[in-house]
Amino acid sequence: MPAPSPYRGDFPILERRIQGYPLAYLDNAATTQKPRAVINALSSYYERHNANVHRGVHTLAEEASALYEEARATLARFLGAPSPRQIIFTRGTTDALNLVAAGWARPRLKPGDEILVTRMEHHSNLVPWQMAARERGATLRFAGITAEGTLDRESFASQLSGRTRIVAISHVSNVLGTINPARELIALAHAAGARVVLDAAQSAGHLRLDVRDLDCDFLALSGHKMYGPTGIGVLYGKADCLEEMQPVQGGGGMIEWVEEQEAAWAPIPARFEAGTPNIAGAHALAAAAEYLRPRLEPAQQWEAGLTAYALERLAAVPALQLYGPRDPARRAGVFSFNLPGLHPHDVAEVLDGYGLALRAGHHCCQVLMRSLGVTATLRASLALYSDSGELDRLAEGLSTARKALSA
Amino acid sequence: MSVELYRAAVLEHSRNPRNAGTLDSPSHRARAANPLCGDELEVTLLLAGGRVTAIRAAVRGCIIAQAGASLMTTAIEGATEAEARVRARDFRAALEDPHATLPPSLEPLTPLLELHQHPSRIGCALLSWLALERALDPGAGT
Repeated sequence: MPAPSPYRGDFPILERRIQGYPLAYLDNAATTQKPRAVINALSSYYERHNANVHRGVHTLAEEASALYEEARATLARFLGAPSPRQIIFTRGTTDALNLVAAGWARPRLKPGDEILVTRMEHHSNLVPWQMAARERGATLRFAGITAEGTLDRESFASQLSGRTRIVAISHVSNVLGTINPARELIALAHAAGARVVLDAAQSAGHLRLDVRDLDCDFLALSGHKMYGPTGIGVLYGKADCLEEMQPVQGGGGMIEWVEEQEAAWAPIPARFEAGTPNIAGAHALAAAAEYLRPRLEPAQQWEAGLTAYALERLAAVPALQLYGPRDPARRAGVFSFNLPGLHPHDVAEVLDGYGLALRAGHHCCQVLMRSLGVTATLRASLALYSDSGELDRLAEGLSTARKALSA
Repeated sequence: MSVELYRAAVLEHSRNPRNAGTLDSPSHRARAANPLCGDELEVTLLLAGGRVTAIRAAVRGCIIAQAGASLMTTAIEGATEAEARVRARDFRAALEDPHATLPPSLEPLTPLLELHQHPSRIGCALLSWLALERALDPGAGT
């Protein structure tokens, strides 16, 4: 009898039944479900503390401001950042990466400079760099991937040069599940004189992150992929990088003073947070970080065990083509695969009939899809509430779908 | 908002600010503005023989900003440049730590520790100190 996850009961939505089956939510790379602690943080904020931050002296404004700044400090601790002022609240990873590309990279890039990304980047860590490169006459280069779906380190190292200004890499691939050796890649990039932007959207909430140990110059994450709400994320930056970065949005809260023709910026991080921020979201994201704090290590082990089991079960599905590394130690719980001759959307539709929530498509990775020679894949992705019973159900569902659709 | 914040000592300094205005021939000057409310002030000072021999603050701001600036100038006038930096650091640290007390050199500023109960107003009391720090070290506190 497979053991259920010890964390499942913390997530109210998992009590739902879909098509008569208990919900097997395997779309966690897209967004995770929210524990009660996060839902309570959102509702208690609006029921008890709601006010705008920073500009009020009344009690609720003081409370809202304190909760917002406490959230910043909590996220700084979560990432091992030296100071809360190095945490900028954004709408999510996409917003954070666009801020670095527009506010830090664009003013710095010169014609002939290079930006190095990998072929496994999500569009959010690719298109902003295309835009910056095109505007500044810089060149975008791609580190290749191996046949197994890991980053080709030789390709990466050989494309670093004195012209490389920025290296933008994902920590964990949202398609292949590959865990990139971030620390090593960052050291290589630094040795070449480049700054490194780490897309941690898929690692936050699954792997312990320590920005000082990683030594990344910037790191972006999304709250909703680490059990927090949508519409809130974080950009971490080294203090000198943030001091160099230009604000991209002007407005309230980001200035020290404003004259008719000019304005002076507020100190970091307020400089990058124009307008009323997502206060409730920041507070609830902090609740997610606090939820994870004592659970991250045991959950990481739980997910690693399930990853090994999933590889075994998927390998046993007849004809299934799995993308990404076979070695469970080198990958996270994200699995992309296809059943030959069947469109992933059709298979996902059949699986939904068994209460299995999977994603099908290009997963915002069209460059990678071309490298894999496909236009779309099915993707199952795990979270700390996943369990082996769900993976058994997935394997059976895939076999059933194959028979039903191949007739 | 509690009236505790507006004790007699604070009100007295705001109504009769010490060292108000601008020095004609300062050796150092700097401005600071509170982005949250628009208050602004300028500190001018004369550094002679390593000592702040004169200091003025021109303030357009709330009672806390005015009294804070007045108290700042009394704490800094006559201090050495090094002492001024230490006092700025000590006062900032004391406001940011809810359990802090002030060193003897800053004892007259004790009524401002009531700001521990009103964190959104701490910036008002620090505004003149920020200008002082910028006057001594251009680029400080940006």
